Amino acid sequence: MKEQQETANRPDNTAFTQQRLPAWQPMLSAGIVIPGFVIIGLAFIGIGIALFVTSQNIQVLERDYTGVENNSPCFKCSDPSTKNCVCKLDFSLDKLFEGPVFFYYGLSNYFQNYRKYGVSRDDRQLSGRLDNFQSPDEGCVPYQYDANNKPIVPCGSVANSLFNDTFKLYQIVNGARKLVPFDGKGIAWWTDHNVKYRNPSITPLKNAFNGTVKPTFWSKPAYELDPSDPANNGFVNQDFLVWMRRAALPDFRKLYRRITEGDYKNGLPAGNYSLEIAYNYPVLDFDGRKKVVFSNVSWMGGKNQFLGIAYLVIGSLCVVMSIVMLIVYAKFKFPDEE
Amino acid sequence: MEYPKLYEPGQLNLLFNKREFFICIAQGIYTSVVLFFVPYAVLSDATQSTGEPLADYQTFAVTTATALVIVVSVQIALDTGFWTVINHVFVWGSLGCYFTIMFAMHSQTLFIIFPNQFHFVGRSHSTLLQPVVWLTIALATVICIVPVLAFRFLKLDLKPQLSDTLVRQKKRKPVGRSMGGVRGGVGSVSEGRLGARGSSRRSGYAFAHQEGFGELITSGKNMRLSSLALATFASRHSSSWIDTLRKKKHISFTHSQTYTISYSISPNQH
Repeated sequence: MKEQQETANRPDNTAFTQQRLPAWQPMLSAGIVIPGFVIIGLAFIGIGIALFVTSQNIQVLERDYTGVENNSPCFKCSDPSTKNCVCKLDFSLDKLFEGPVFFYYGLSNYFQNYRKYGVSRDDRQLSGRLDNFQSPDEGCVPYQYDANNKPIVPCGSVANSLFNDTFKLYQIVNGARKLVPFDGKGIAWWTDHNVKYRNPSITPLKNAFNGTVKPTFWSKPAYELDPSDPANNGFVNQDFLVWMRRAALPDFRKLYRRITEGDYKNGLPAGNYSLEIAYNYPVLDFDGRKKVVFSNVSWMGGKNQFLGIAYLVIGSLCVVMSIVMLIVYAKFKFPDEE
Repeated sequence: MEYPKLYEPGQLNLLFNKREFFICIAQGIYTSVVLFFVPYAVLSDATQSTGEPLADYQTFAVTTATALVIVVSVQIALDTGFWTVINHVFVWGSLGCYFTIMFAMHSQTLFIIFPNQFHFVGRSHSTLLQPVVWLTIALATVICIVPVLAFRFLKLDLKPQLSDTLVRQKKRKPVGRSMGGVRGGVGSVSEGRLGARGSSRRSGYAFAHQEGFGELITSGKNMRLSSLALATFASRHSSSWIDTLRKKKHISFTHSQTYTISYSISPNQH
């Protein structure tokens, strides 16, 4: 009886309860660490060279058009009292700017990542729910109701500050201006266009906006954002989607159009060009800057010097450290051989 | 009680005192700085291969968060001296959990139910397909981990703690008896320099980073420390303690294996 009592209280003799689990016990020995460092170093140097060479082959053209300096072509537009100002920016290309060419607009000193600005939106409204058309979210204040207490659709400061400069690019061929066709399809993220932002399912779209007003800064209501393409109106308008994707940093670029069609399939040939800008967006109040950027891309995206250089630096540091560790290890392990 | 000096780090608070704490804090600050500024520097001008810029708020967030989880997991893996099944489950499991939860939070289902809360919809699916993002994460991981690795290896070589030395030495000597376990990979002494790696059965100490010396203690074997080794170990202890140890040694049983620890210890003493 006593033995049975003893065995009843004895803990199980399994590997888990007796802490006899099989275990792998790695050790930081020289045979692992030093070759490991060399391998990591060489791999990083290889990747760094590939990235750097790829990045060097990407062409970028940037032009600031804020109009701050007197001799800038857009200086006349920087006066806040002028309305519907159009300015021309001329530039020339020495050699073929390989396609497909991407055309971005860039803003500086513009904090889309400011918290209060960023939460000032109503995602329910933007996914097409009509209840939220009549009662926008509290977070949209002060762009929630207008002076006559009518709901603003789309509400919030992010939507209200939609970028409204427009651009037309002309190539000067034999003294005549030739329009370069822009492609504005699919410039926003696919999930934005197809999942996150949905128009209300009322046709015509205009009727869904009955009883609401457009944001104060906008010149056209949401259902008339793109007269040339009926499918590009409402909340799924590509430019609107690109703007609503908040930038992380105060100096950002957003994709405007692509140049992929017609004579310019292979890129922009060398020559003179004239960019016609409808200057509507005021940035001088807060010392912001506006610019246009032309760029082509590769498998790793646009021009990114930092990544290539960082990989090269870290790779070489790893190799150097492995040599140092080898010297230290050899010196201290074999003291009698000195 | 064969190696009483092993208790010393605990008694003298050597492994967790103000200096160690500040070193930990410094490493944490360094890691945080790297984990923010590397994605910042890379993504500020980056674009996808389709031309859309990657410098938006949500891409930046996903990149930084993923880099953080990976760096922390690698650091934990470096710190784990003993990989049992439980360790594997928790380390790989936590990585898997992170990705699962992230994809779940960015899925369309949750967005449709709560649009205002889960507005990161589709973010991770598109972000994590970009090679630039993974290159950034790899870069941040290497910048964070390589100094730690180098420092640890050099410390292990130049100033090994007693526990490290004993672990190495135990791995080199083929211990004849096996306590209910498979011993693999324990080679001859000549293999010792590169470190014999093998599985071993743990006994005695719950979740300790070292195997513990339960076997040594319970086996009843006595080892005779050579006087040279004793002399080096006696750097901090009073001579009376050493005398009592020497006395104990002389009363040892005949059935013992003599280790000459000096062979393995002395190259490390600098």
